[in-house]
Amino acid sequence: MISKPNRLAWVFGWLLAFASVPASASLNVFACEPEWASLVSALLPDATITTATTAWQDPHYIEARPSLIAAMRKADLAVCTGASLEAGWLPSLISRAANRKIQPGSDGLFFAADHAPLHQSHEHVDRSMGDVHPEGDPHLHLSPDAIPLVADALAERLAALVPDQQAQIQVRYIRWRGEWNQQRQSWRHAARQLAGTGVVTQHSTFDYLLRWLGIEVIADLEPKPGLPPGSAHLRNVLATPDLARASVIMVASYQDDRPARWLSSQSGVPAIVLPGTVTGQPGEENLAQVISLIVNTLLNHQEPTNVE
Amino acid sequence: MRFTRLQAGLFSTLLVPFASAQANEMNPDISVVLDGYYKQNATALSHRDEGFGLGHTELSLSAPIDDLFAGRLTAVLEEHHGETEVALEEAYLQTTGMPWNLSIRGGRFLSQVGYLNSRHMHEDNFVERPAAYRALLGSHYFDDGLRVNLLMPTPFFWQIGAEAFNGNRLTEGDEDIGVYTVNTRFGGDIGVSQSWQAGLSYLNNRQVQGDHDGDHDHDHDHGDHDHSHAAAYTGENLYIADLVWKWSPDGNTRQQQLTLSGEYLYADELNEHARSSDYHQGWYTSAVYRFTPQWSVGARYGRVDLKEAHGDHFHDQQLKETDVMLAWSRSHFSTLRLQYTHQSAHGFDDADNTVTLQYVMTFGAHGAHDF
Repeated sequence: MISKPNRLAWVFGWLLAFASVPASASLNVFACEPEWASLVSALLPDATITTATTAWQDPHYIEARPSLIAAMRKADLAVCTGASLEAGWLPSLISRAANRKIQPGSDGLFFAADHAPLHQSHEHVDRSMGDVHPEGDPHLHLSPDAIPLVADALAERLAALVPDQQAQIQVRYIRWRGEWNQQRQSWRHAARQLAGTGVVTQHSTFDYLLRWLGIEVIADLEPKPGLPPGSAHLRNVLATPDLARASVIMVASYQDDRPARWLSSQSGVPAIVLPGTVTGQPGEENLAQVISLIVNTLLNHQEPTNVE
Repeated sequence: MRFTRLQAGLFSTLLVPFASAQANEMNPDISVVLDGYYKQNATALSHRDEGFGLGHTELSLSAPIDDLFAGRLTAVLEEHHGETEVALEEAYLQTTGMPWNLSIRGGRFLSQVGYLNSRHMHEDNFVERPAAYRALLGSHYFDDGLRVNLLMPTPFFWQIGAEAFNGNRLTEGDEDIGVYTVNTRFGGDIGVSQSWQAGLSYLNNRQVQGDHDGDHDHDHDHGDHDHSHAAAYTGENLYIADLVWKWSPDGNTRQQQLTLSGEYLYADELNEHARSSDYHQGWYTSAVYRFTPQWSVGARYGRVDLKEAHGDHFHDQQLKETDVMLAWSRSHFSTLRLQYTHQSAHGFDDADNTVTLQYVMTFGAHGAHDF
């Protein structure tokens, strides 16, 4: 179901989309993570995009390597998560690339986390708590509510950088928003079945989506955020009585799945590896598809019924 | 002492804002590196004494200054023969708003010659720099000067840079500009799992030739050098070639990473008495494999062939060094390292084998994962 203003926007969007679109110079975009590359290409398909990481790479631990400096050198816009997710490598890349368009505070540097409320922001943080980000959990890319806010701000930023495509970007955004809202309806439908169930996770990669779906995180395989699962902690998790309520153990594609497999073999709870983000493979080409895939997987492990 | 007031200032800065160590709108990024060790035996050309000791304890502040400049200040505390020395290792400003991917750095900073020199010591995978670095660059050469770097408009990474330095931290002398360097680096990826970088550097030391006050040559005859960080062995020309290659399955450096690196250093025109056959030469090659997020093993072999000046002639010296190490990092911010070093030497009385246990801990701002 699409609500009334959205339906209007939807129709208006399609009308505009079919109006003639003049070709124009493309924008060079550096995307820190694949989810932002897919969002940029949805809004500005002729942008030349370099993606710094893949779904098989942990975005905390990238190095400021030569190829990334070269890509940052020629970029007009860098789209990153922010909230210190890239604290280990993005400042170094920006400094080494010496690209005056992309500097802290400039229009050429877009942080998704600046445009959506973050969960778990902390007044007090120290590293005995693990690698906790004081700004909040930066893994907002699977949040059904945060992504439209990010897309809205990104469309505005792209329109400011490519003024002659302003109208088209707006149209594409409205169309994207309509599709997202439609998908969100189906996820909301799924949430009615999933709410109140529990899962085991590794790191907070899926936490925004799980919270949105009303799914409880019974245990985290990481003893503290950012620390790899150790055997002592895994034994503690195995001893948790709540573990019996967990339907699955969720691991992201870039994480080591051996701890989850071990826990699965000991507890009988199935371990599943899910794409941490957009992979580019069929059915995992944009964020909505990835969220649908995760929701469907969770449903499949819940009840034999599936959601369309 | 020259740094006393500065020292007091730095420590008051250190103590006050720790409730909010994370950089916010106005506070700089603050980071502290603690480096301590136990070393079984004294070794040749080493900057670490035997027994318990502190290595490179570092306090660093950095922040954007305005929309055109960023700055960094790094103070280092080192303990030598019972005396604590405070030194400014970095105090520089860096441009952030230059056109054509040009960047200019001025002040005191680490020279970018070679692969290791511009890196901070606490990022190293071994307790000490290779013997060639310790002999020819005083482990890490930093000085007061100016740097201009330019990224070439090529699809791959290609940087060229030039530096001019005072030069007195390498060799004491009277020149206003004692050291010039030029440097170029290339690099890229091979598929998704491999990446590489190669560099060539040249350092021109204009203060090597000519008479110096006092008999400089014999200062080094006694192992008890004053730890001024000046290089013990210099030449008018120093050439460095470096190559680094890294591999991680799927490019996921978090889980596993293999790093192979090597450098070759060559210095000639050692002083006014040097003939064409008199030159310093050194190299090392190292392999480090981080096989889980928390554990890494590494081995390094290096040698350096040196000419020790004695008035109008030279004595040959040679040091071969093999290191093997095992390191464990509880988190991203802590490392414990056990290393065995084997030295075999010619012309060094203090060459020995040693076991070293070291810790390197950082707190405050998140350090950079440089390549």
